[in-house]
Amino acid sequence: MGELSLLSNGVNPVLLVVVPLALAFAVPLIGFVSKKIIKYIPVVAFLFNLIVALLLIPSVLKQPIVVKIGGFAPPFCINLVAGPIGILFSALIALAGLLVSIYALNYIREGPQEKYHILYLLLLTGATGVVLTGDIFNLFVFFEILCISSYALVAYLGNKAGIESSIKYLIQGSVGSSLLLLGIGLLYGQFGTLNMADIANQIHSASSPSIFVPMVLMITGLGVEAAIFPLNAWLPDAHSSAPSSISAILSGIAIEVGLYAVIRVLFTIFDASNFLMFFVFLGVLTLLIGEMCAFSQKNIKRMLAYSSIGQIGLIVFAFSIANTYGVTGGFFQLISHTLGKGLLFLAAGYMIYRSGSMDISTFEGMGKRMPLTSLFFTVGAFSIVGLPPFIGFPSKFMIVRAALSTGELLFTILIGIVLLGTVIEGAYFFRVVQVIYFKKGNGNPERKKAPISGLISMFIFVILILVIGVYPNLITKILNSAASELLNRIDYIRSVLG
Amino acid sequence: MRKIFSVILLIIICWGIILSLYKIPFGIPKTKVGEYYLNKGKEETGAANIVTSVVLNYRGFDTLGEVTVLFIAAIGLGAVLATLKKKGKRKVEQASLILYTGCRFLFPLILLFGAYVFIHGHLTPGGGFQGGAIIASAFVLVYLGCRGKRINEVSSKTTESLGGLIFIVIGLIGLAIGGHYFLSNFLPKGELNTLFSAGIIPIIYIAIGFKVGSELAGVIDNLFEES
Repeated sequence: MGELSLLSNGVNPVLLVVVPLALAFAVPLIGFVSKKIIKYIPVVAFLFNLIVALLLIPSVLKQPIVVKIGGFAPPFCINLVAGPIGILFSALIALAGLLVSIYALNYIREGPQEKYHILYLLLLTGATGVVLTGDIFNLFVFFEILCISSYALVAYLGNKAGIESSIKYLIQGSVGSSLLLLGIGLLYGQFGTLNMADIANQIHSASSPSIFVPMVLMITGLGVEAAIFPLNAWLPDAHSSAPSSISAILSGIAIEVGLYAVIRVLFTIFDASNFLMFFVFLGVLTLLIGEMCAFSQKNIKRMLAYSSIGQIGLIVFAFSIANTYGVTGGFFQLISHTLGKGLLFLAAGYMIYRSGSMDISTFEGMGKRMPLTSLFFTVGAFSIVGLPPFIGFPSKFMIVRAALSTGELLFTILIGIVLLGTVIEGAYFFRVVQVIYFKKGNGNPERKKAPISGLISMFIFVILILVIGVYPNLITKILNSAASELLNRIDYIRSVLG
Repeated sequence: MRKIFSVILLIIICWGIILSLYKIPFGIPKTKVGEYYLNKGKEETGAANIVTSVVLNYRGFDTLGEVTVLFIAAIGLGAVLATLKKKGKRKVEQASLILYTGCRFLFPLILLFGAYVFIHGHLTPGGGFQGGAIIASAFVLVYLGCRGKRINEVSSKTTESLGGLIFIVIGLIGLAIGGHYFLSNFLPKGELNTLFSAGIIPIIYIAIGFKVGSELAGVIDNLFEES
């Protein structure tokens, strides 16, 4: 009987958090046996997570899986909610984690490598916990795991820039976390429960000013990690001075998870449809500022970091439209940004390694020196800009369609501004591509390839970008149910509280 | 200008927080989750200390997260310090005989007290984190008083990893056999208020005690190396 029910329920989603965590704790012990196999542990962990997440997708599409930790009924225990959103994000985190850890096999050669791999595992474990949990204090705990390991990883190279930006990030992140905790405390004081579904269920019973303050505190706190303007001052420094593999994760996963927390709090807990217009403008503002700053950068990693801010603005804009098209487009754009920006940072990592500088002008003639890596970089750039047949095209197209489907003049004007941002984006990415291919380098034109593990990982990114770009229908089903989970908070509450 | 601006901002934030605190009645046992724990806690978890039953049973997943946060802090500190250049060996002046003997005398007693606190976490105030911190304080004393003595890095790392692993493995055993819930209390609850009661709670607290103790001692060791 017991085994039967285990089989019919499939795998338990709690394993997505617990297995990487256990492996992270085990790394020092494994290190006593052999130092060489440590770097393969993240690969194993995220391969496992990816398989589990993919196995869970069919059952999650039917109904969300609610995991009661400790076996008590919610709201008295902590529960995980593995709905379409949670599993979509877990799969994305596991995928990016797997590919970047393959890349890091050869990329991370210096420094305390054992600690790098532990922190890398824990960063992504924290991210998975944030997207799966259904308890607001548990969300804070996993958020701390995510943030603290990224503070340490930003400083991993130990140079002056790394330590300085890590401290900036640490201070701003800690202020954000404190605000978040304050907001959670106020909510707990009012409702006497920490369960997200339970709070969401009672939220309309409280008076609006006493809800407004915790909401502002929580959104501000989470917004620091999500890099929403004006809370994103830490991002360009942190993303540019971290090792490139970590930049890919910070840009592709960490800010996305921050954004997930923001929309979960906004849509599910507070049901804040009155405030969405504010976020529409905030999104467009974030987009414009990010793209304009990116345009004026000479340093390739800073340029990519500012471009991430722009993309986050676009995603915030898409979510704030708050109709099915908009939210679906938001999730789609999230995936497209993770794949595109991950690929760009990974490719830039080896280009920087070969040219010895982050200055874009030193990439002259890179198209001849590193033909494959340059090609991969170009694919990533075109995808972020939104050219067909790459994934960036259908995702941006969906957002445009969402804005036009509202039929309001305001949104038509705003989407015009968004497209202007895309033009700026195109301008600076094409400039880099032009430097790579059409300017002759004065250095020695000897061909040097990136190591094979790096090429494999980037190649898989390229394949995914192309395949989903050509067949967007592959993921529309899960995107649609993710969107309906976000928009139908009543169903979410009912699935948890029964 | 900047100062005035920050003061105004601070006033607005404080006003908002006061406004929303004003609505929360204090001193009235109205929180439904809290009431449930107080009424049902002893019966459901077998721990005489209700705080422990909440920390390790009802909200055990948070505690696993907190243990991880401390682990990250220790590892992260090690990672950042490892990249800085090591200075040459410092000259160490030996402490006086009285201090040296006193520290050596107190060291086992502090360890015993720390162990007492975390072994009795389910009965009396205290627990794994507190006991672990007490144990780490014994190591600070040795570092200050008996200079030159160092902790064994291999055994401290092993304790740290094993502590975390035991926590997770107990949770997974609960998932596998004890009613299919992660961290479910699958051991017999025993008689309330005795040492062998509350099922998995004391075992987890002992694991946490060892883990926190070795972790904090490791942090102190790392910082001593650099100072």
